[in-house]
Amino acid sequence: MKLVIGHFYPELLNLYGDRGNLSCLRMRLQWRGIGVTVVPLAAGEPVDFSGLDLVLMGGGSDREQELACGFLQKIKGEFYRYVEEGGTVLAVCGGYQLLGEYYQTRTKKLKGLGILGIHTTWEPARLVGNIILDSGLCADAIVGFENHGGRTWIGDYEPLGRVRLGLGNTGDGAWEGIHYKNVIGTYLHGPLLPKNPQICDLLLETALKEKYGSAVRLSPLPDELEQIAGREMVKRGRRRQGRGLFH
Amino acid sequence: MRSRIAVCCAKWVYRMIHLFHLGDGAALPGAVAKRIDPGILRMLAGMVTEGVLVVLGTNGKTTVNSILYQVLKEQGKTVLANRTGANMENGITTAFVLAADAREGIQADYACIEVDENAAFTVLPQLMPAGILLTNLFRDQLDRYGEVDAVYERIRRAIFQTPDAVLILNGDDALLSDLLSECPNRAVTYGIEEAVFDEAAKPRVREGVFCRFCGRRLVYTLVHYGQLGHYYCPGCGRKRPRPDDWADRVHIEGEACCFRLDGRLLRPRMTARYQIYNILAAYAALKAVEGPVDRFGSAIEKFDFDNHRESRFYIDGASIQLYLAKNPVGFQQKLSLLCQDPGRKDVLILVNDTAQDGRDVSWLWDVDFEYLKEARPAAIVVGGKRRYDMGLRLKYEEIPCRVTEHIPKAIRKLAASGTKNLYILVNYSSLYPIHRMLCRWEEKENIYSWKEEEK
Repeated sequence: MKLVIGHFYPELLNLYGDRGNLSCLRMRLQWRGIGVTVVPLAAGEPVDFSGLDLVLMGGGSDREQELACGFLQKIKGEFYRYVEEGGTVLAVCGGYQLLGEYYQTRTKKLKGLGILGIHTTWEPARLVGNIILDSGLCADAIVGFENHGGRTWIGDYEPLGRVRLGLGNTGDGAWEGIHYKNVIGTYLHGPLLPKNPQICDLLLETALKEKYGSAVRLSPLPDELEQIAGREMVKRGRRRQGRGLFH
Repeated sequence: MRSRIAVCCAKWVYRMIHLFHLGDGAALPGAVAKRIDPGILRMLAGMVTEGVLVVLGTNGKTTVNSILYQVLKEQGKTVLANRTGANMENGITTAFVLAADAREGIQADYACIEVDENAAFTVLPQLMPAGILLTNLFRDQLDRYGEVDAVYERIRRAIFQTPDAVLILNGDDALLSDLLSECPNRAVTYGIEEAVFDEAAKPRVREGVFCRFCGRRLVYTLVHYGQLGHYYCPGCGRKRPRPDDWADRVHIEGEACCFRLDGRLLRPRMTARYQIYNILAAYAALKAVEGPVDRFGSAIEKFDFDNHRESRFYIDGASIQLYLAKNPVGFQQKLSLLCQDPGRKDVLILVNDTAQDGRDVSWLWDVDFEYLKEARPAAIVVGGKRRYDMGLRLKYEEIPCRVTEHIPKAIRKLAASGTKNLYILVNYSSLYPIHRMLCRWEEKENIYSWKEEEK
């Protein structure tokens, strides 16, 4: 077995250590003896989605996101088909916003990919801090760090999780992220996958199933360190509960 | 009158803080003075006779500021400077009011002030500096500063209020040099002319890959590290400015890194190559404001680069080097130093997430830790509040490490039974506590051996 991971714009969308998600996907395949190829997609070049099993998109500054947005418009149609046909996608922060219809920044309205019927509006107060979610996708709590000026309005879509501690999609502390078909969109840095290996394995299993047809059960890996790191944050969160901002 | 009261009160507050051991009093006296006389900083800064020099940028601020301070003093000038870390408005005001006399005000030829990027907008118009020095722009504490584009914008708006100040900027920095066309100020640049840095010093995640003005990918003929190097834009034609001051003929003599500056060979007491930028910056700044540079060379050769950021201790017969590594580029530079040491070594990495460090530890994943593997340490121990995150980072690089909950014990153990060559890498909030602890241990040990000798 083998997976091909397309990494969208490593030179533009690379904020907040999000390339850690890539090394997590890669290593967890390698540790199980499954082949993996990473295709770094250069901005402005054509993309062959039929050769990709998993797509990863990170975030950038507003300026870089605008550049990325321009490049993505050219492959909008193919990207849309990839998602509708069950392609696996992890989009973090800026990448998450770009999947939507538009992002209203302080000064202008950036047109998104329109793959999801969601939109984002910018507000001056940034939403910053550690965050913990409860999600139907995995048994353990999802831990991470959010840092965004945009508020994302997801309408009736299924969120990634309920916010146990933190601010979430719109800053009201209710819901975070999105889960649509095989797409996960989220504001969570940390990076997300090394901290939450269950989500990583879920993405890998989904991509393998899409590629090889039958359900794949990945062999378990020793994740004690991940669990301790996650539990440590949950413990700290509990101590802070009811005392305002969670650090 | 008002300003006199402000100065007196601030000094009294400072004395009280020290009398009752209420902290270091780096910010409160300034806050008090400002409350009494909101114009106090502007007034005192205006009394500096030859000019105020401001240092801005992500890495190297403190070092450049202390070089300026030392070099000016060495040449007989009276100089005022703010203390490490006291680089917000209150800290800077504290530095001025404590140096002032209630009746006479400030008597100083120069003031060297490092300013936090977040404080620049309010502080710069009050200081009305003769020169503004910009070292570099890298990603740092994103939860506090935001991404580099946001920091750039803040700096640009701050400089815009002081059109008379001359800018001294690192022309090798592809992001900073955009200020040349965006600010009306007179400007000089500095840079390094030849390849100096090894691969370990160059983080793979870089900023400013694309031109701010036309969006094309910049082309580099030489990469120093990060976005520093020799670049040009094939789209709009902007390029690295020809530096007014530059370093070349970089070579190693013994352990020291030597180079030529303005036709003179310098042999400073430093091992890290990025210090070349700090020395260049100080030199270019002094020249730009027509300050004294005659004895710059001899002053820099006497300069002690140990200023708490790269210190060496000898404890239990082991050499212990303490390095500050607070952001990806800084960390990468320190890993490069580790790789340059061919000897056996142990490494202790301490990661905290206090407000000073930045709450978000995601940045650890922007550091290329494979070079830690290349440095081949005998033992790696991780500690600090986010020790498990650090351990996790190394796990995904397949680097085995031990997690410790007791830092002093871990250091003692590594010093006593390790390779006798220990490197400790810390981010901001552990730097001073660990530094103090090592000083104490070293002192005790030295007293002990001195007593032994007496017998």
